[in-house]
Amino acid sequence: MEELLFIRQEVAPALLRGLWVSIQLIVPSAICGLILGIIAGVLRVYGGPLLRRIAGLYVLFFRGFPLLVQLYLWYFGLPRIGIYLSPFVAAFFGFTFCSGAYHSEYVRGALLSIKAGQQLAAQSLGFSKFKTIFSIILPQAVRRALPGCGNELIYLIKYSSLAYMVTCIELTGEGKILASSYFKYTEIFFIVGGVYLVLVSFATWILNSVEDRVSIPGFERPQEGKRK
Amino acid sequence: MTNQHPVLKAENINKRYGNQEILKGVSFELNRGDIKCLIGPSGSGKSTLLHCINFLVQFDEGRIWFNGSEVNYARKHDLYAYRQKIGMIFQDFNLFDHLTALRNVQVGLVRVRKMPKKEARNRALVELERVGLKDHVMKYPAELSGGQKQRVSIARALAMDPEVMLLDEPTSALDPELIGEVHSVIQDLARGGMTMMLVTHEIGFAGSLAKEFLFMDEGVILEQGPPERILSNAECDRTREFCAKINQLHRGSG
Amino acid sequence: MSSSQGLTAILEGLPYILPGIGVTMTVVGGALSMGLLLGLFLSVLHVYGNRPTRRLVGIYVWFFRGIPLLVLLFLFYFGILASLQIELSPFLVSIIVLGLISSAYQSQIIRGAILSLPEGQLKAARAIGMSDRKAIAFIVLPQALRLAIPGWTNEYTIIMKDSAVTYALGVAEIMARCNHVASRTYQHLWVYLLAGFLFLALTYVGTEVFRIVEEKVRIKGYARQEGQW
Repeated sequence: MEELLFIRQEVAPALLRGLWVSIQLIVPSAICGLILGIIAGVLRVYGGPLLRRIAGLYVLFFRGFPLLVQLYLWYFGLPRIGIYLSPFVAAFFGFTFCSGAYHSEYVRGALLSIKAGQQLAAQSLGFSKFKTIFSIILPQAVRRALPGCGNELIYLIKYSSLAYMVTCIELTGEGKILASSYFKYTEIFFIVGGVYLVLVSFATWILNSVEDRVSIPGFERPQEGKRK
Repeated sequence: MTNQHPVLKAENINKRYGNQEILKGVSFELNRGDIKCLIGPSGSGKSTLLHCINFLVQFDEGRIWFNGSEVNYARKHDLYAYRQKIGMIFQDFNLFDHLTALRNVQVGLVRVRKMPKKEARNRALVELERVGLKDHVMKYPAELSGGQKQRVSIARALAMDPEVMLLDEPTSALDPELIGEVHSVIQDLARGGMTMMLVTHEIGFAGSLAKEFLFMDEGVILEQGPPERILSNAECDRTREFCAKINQLHRGSG
Repeated sequence: MSSSQGLTAILEGLPYILPGIGVTMTVVGGALSMGLLLGLFLSVLHVYGNRPTRRLVGIYVWFFRGIPLLVLLFLFYFGILASLQIELSPFLVSIIVLGLISSAYQSQIIRGAILSLPEGQLKAARAIGMSDRKAIAFIVLPQALRLAIPGWTNEYTIIMKDSAVTYALGVAEIMARCNHVASRTYQHLWVYLLAGFLFLALTYVGTEVFRIVEEKVRIKGYARQEGQW
């Protein structure tokens, strides 16, 4: 009992420290990644040939290379051409660009799934291309892309643990340090895992609520069915 | 010698879905060689009753006898054996989409009756030829027309050597020009003496086939009797009402 | 940037790096297979089991989909196995952990495929007297598995990229070997780009294989789109 309390003194602060770093990593990369993804997705659908090419290559490489490899390229690779990033910044860029590529695919799919007729109708009413995209396409596309992008954000929460591999000490990193100091791997990592589970579950719950909030007939969230 | 028991007997079948009573104390008897037809407005429970007979739908109260012995669905083994003896034809065919027509008919023989593959294949070919699909045996359901699909499903049911056939609106999902081919197969079955219980909107066709009509409304069998009597001279007001409407519809048609 | 140095580093390192492909593919193959077998079993439980069973499967899925791979690897390798005093190689532990995670995802893919089948298939199977077990084995699953192939392909690409993380346990796969070469030759940029391209190539090849498999087992006209009947 005493031992547990003592460890609480050591374990809790360290893990909380790590958790804070994790959050500082996750939130900005999630937002920036989403924005980047939306831009890339829109370019891939509506851009001219050159822009489509560039965006296409972006997606190819940043979805094709493992995230770990990307992180290593940002942190260990860039110095070879004179760019030195701190572990935190390298992780931030790594997460942003990687998740951006995945987001762009969901956005692109959503945009393509909006029936062509919608555009024609808008144009026949005199909408400019920009207005069409903004007022007609986007509101529908956002609802279609929501599950995919939301899912990607949840993946980000989990993959933030890889920041440890480029020596950015967030939750997982703190856990590893603690565990190796006290030889309490099982307990510590169960706790660390538990924290991620809570974060992921919370994020999933928020995502589902948002999906339900914005759902309109025809764009419902597919309901779970039970079969017998 | 003649079997004294009716082939199929149902007593007091009750079925509820939540608060709604779909079947209220339904009873009937089917003797060997009988062809009876359930008619009535939509939602009267005809289809549900059919599904209750082979326990695809679990009813809340009631009993079913097959050839004199009561069917106990709790004993799985007996239930599967019973279902083999009852052939069912569905409105939307329900062919196994991943199997060719031949395999569709074969699969029950091989997997349920444990027949050797070769024997099952031959039997399946016989059944398919019987329904006029000799040239289509290697086709997948997606490649067949509605009428052909329904005929395959009849062949599939017949391959199990059933003693009773239940037909749940067999032609409702078909284009008009395809209905004829299915009707002719069903007529062949009737000529061969198959005991059948039929649910259909094709009153003319049913009239020429069935020995008895059972008129159902709101989960109850209101009246039963020979087709001519039910259609033109029913006792019950509700029956008359329904039949008057369909007579209007079929005026002039056989 | 000295490209000649970079290229020499790669060429020097290739003999060491390439065998890593075999290791990576084995890890991926092992994890996928384990994920498939276990996932298949779990999906059937999840769809046709009773309430407590479905609950349990749900918890399993939530657990293995919610915890990061790296944490699970550490938990299993340094934690659980050490406590139980079981000695397994990092290689084996990686396959097991990746397999467990994959089974959670695959069970959901297969479950989704099963649920998308029309109810009539199961009904018809029962009508000819098939037990539920037979109906599931011969009628439901053959169709559901075909529908699950696209999701499976996706799963493959994910595991392929996740396999790089097993480097943290010391598995001598592509990433580990590239790391070794990079630290020796100091040509991190080139070497890690190589690593990236290797994974990309393996992903592409695998995806093509799956596409061919899907073609081979495709049933004519059998495209399950919404509202097609």
